[in-house]
Amino acid sequence: MTLLEVAGVTRSFGGNRAVDDVSFRMEVDTLAIVGPNGAGKTTLLNLIAGWLHPELGAITFRDQDVTHHPPWRIAQLGMVKTYQVVRPFRTLTVQENLALFGKKRGVADLDRILEVTGLRDVRDHLAGALPFGLLKRLELAKGLAAMPDLLLLDEPIGGLSRAEAQGLVASLTALKSSGVRMVIVEHRLSEILPVVDRVVALDRGRLIFHGTREEFFQDPAVRTAYLGSSDAAG
Amino acid sequence: MLPEGGPRARRAASPLLRTARRTVLSPTYLFAIALIGFVFYAASGSPDSFFAYSMVLASIFITLALAWDFSSGLTGYLNFGLPFFFGLGAFGAGYLSWHGDRVVPELLVFGFAVGLFAGFLFSIPTLRLRGPYFSLLSLLLPIIGTDFVVAFWAQLHLPTEGYYSLPFLYTFWTPVVQSLSPLHLPIQYLATTNAGELLLLSIVNGVLLTGFLLLRGSHFGLVLRGIRDDEDALGSQGIWTFPYKVTAFTLSSGVAAYAGAAYATTVTYSGVDTFQFTFILFPVLIVILGGLGRLSGSVLAGYLVIYLYQYLQPVFSTATLIIFSSIAILLVLFVAGGLERPLRAFIQFMRTPEAG
Repeated sequence: MTLLEVAGVTRSFGGNRAVDDVSFRMEVDTLAIVGPNGAGKTTLLNLIAGWLHPELGAITFRDQDVTHHPPWRIAQLGMVKTYQVVRPFRTLTVQENLALFGKKRGVADLDRILEVTGLRDVRDHLAGALPFGLLKRLELAKGLAAMPDLLLLDEPIGGLSRAEAQGLVASLTALKSSGVRMVIVEHRLSEILPVVDRVVALDRGRLIFHGTREEFFQDPAVRTAYLGSSDAAG
Repeated sequence: MLPEGGPRARRAASPLLRTARRTVLSPTYLFAIALIGFVFYAASGSPDSFFAYSMVLASIFITLALAWDFSSGLTGYLNFGLPFFFGLGAFGAGYLSWHGDRVVPELLVFGFAVGLFAGFLFSIPTLRLRGPYFSLLSLLLPIIGTDFVVAFWAQLHLPTEGYYSLPFLYTFWTPVVQSLSPLHLPIQYLATTNAGELLLLSIVNGVLLTGFLLLRGSHFGLVLRGIRDDEDALGSQGIWTFPYKVTAFTLSSGVAAYAGAAYATTVTYSGVDTFQFTFILFPVLIVILGGLGRLSGSVLAGYLVIYLYQYLQPVFSTATLIIFSSIAILLVLFVAGGLERPLRAFIQFMRTPEAG
């Protein structure tokens, strides 16, 4: 069964087509959405999660049309988004941040989530007092606490140091092994690609590539978008 | 998806018992409950004194402050319409007493029910708006309420000066005192003095404080506090916030209306002036002083603010409100988190041994 299907999705802001007739299917564990700045990655993720609605096209999750559903309903169906700019509940503790999920999808094992995300030692700290690196982890943990069938991660390692990013990528790898399925939007390709099975690449709102990560670097359109010319890379 | 948690995880996610234990062991909660008991004890020594009457009024405004703090303090949706529900409760109690010759418990329950119903009707359309827009709309509510009552007073066949001769709040205890009279307990004064009123209001405030604190620590309360921090982020967690907000504001309106009914039976009168907009000043001032969203702090702050107001009122007359409004502004500017933090800092300072 197709987990997620995006069919002909288009969304403009003013005269600018941020996402232009994008279509793909997700039948694997982990998918990366990549592209240069302004490619429309975050807009596409917001369209999938219900924070924006497309002008054209349809989004289907588990064979159910979710194109015009509000975000909370999409999250209840099992597709949960985390934020690029972290949005913790600052006056609540880490544990309370995780306890704050809709219970319709069952009750998550918070100890396990704290363990996997490396937040066990700060579980009683106020989220507002955490450093940025831990807030990024908390963002991931909040997503997991909602018991998602598909986790939509918007630049999970964006802004992190190399060491912090490595730690978080290790958490993502562990989650993938545990059966958590993810769509990851990320700039830092070399660090995130080892985690993913397939890649969707956008450029100026249009889909330029959809295939395996091995095929990704060989694709001429991708090389043009990233390097300016398909011959540029040696 | 990670595997679902077992029974232990389910217990951890339904933290009612843990919340209850943490609530009743909290020093601020214990202090607030002890203070309520102490004020009643102190007032019952001279049950018809100025102090006792001031504490009765303070207790009513503490109820109003708890209602305001529970909805607005926890969610960050500032509701300035609370005086409308307070007035509605007073008005409802007056109406029922005037037309139905009912006893005090019926008037209080009726006031509460009217507040719940009106609060629900008010919440459904207005809580679709976000914070500042909701606050603006709620600001209009007491004005609309007052103007409506004034404009249609005669058409509604209401008594010229408002509803007067309501039964005294202390008559709540009359059946209790009568039924216990064979035991010759020294409790007759409860059915005839301010001490009786204070006892009833204190019990209700204790129950409300406990109930609100338990709700604050529950999943429901977490959602309300999450709304204050970042309402959109809750949507990403699969939480539709609208029913939570409606429930909190409906409950808060009911409690405010109960406070109005209690006020009407304390002064044995309800009329247009029970819709006064200035009634919002006291709960807001009490909550700022007690700490927004902290609930327990409102008890001490309530007794302090109202006693001070009652004390200054004969001296400064109408200027008292100006003084209190100025105090509110200063508090927001300099002690926005309430008195708890400065008090703790002071205690810490006093405990610290002198250097050298």
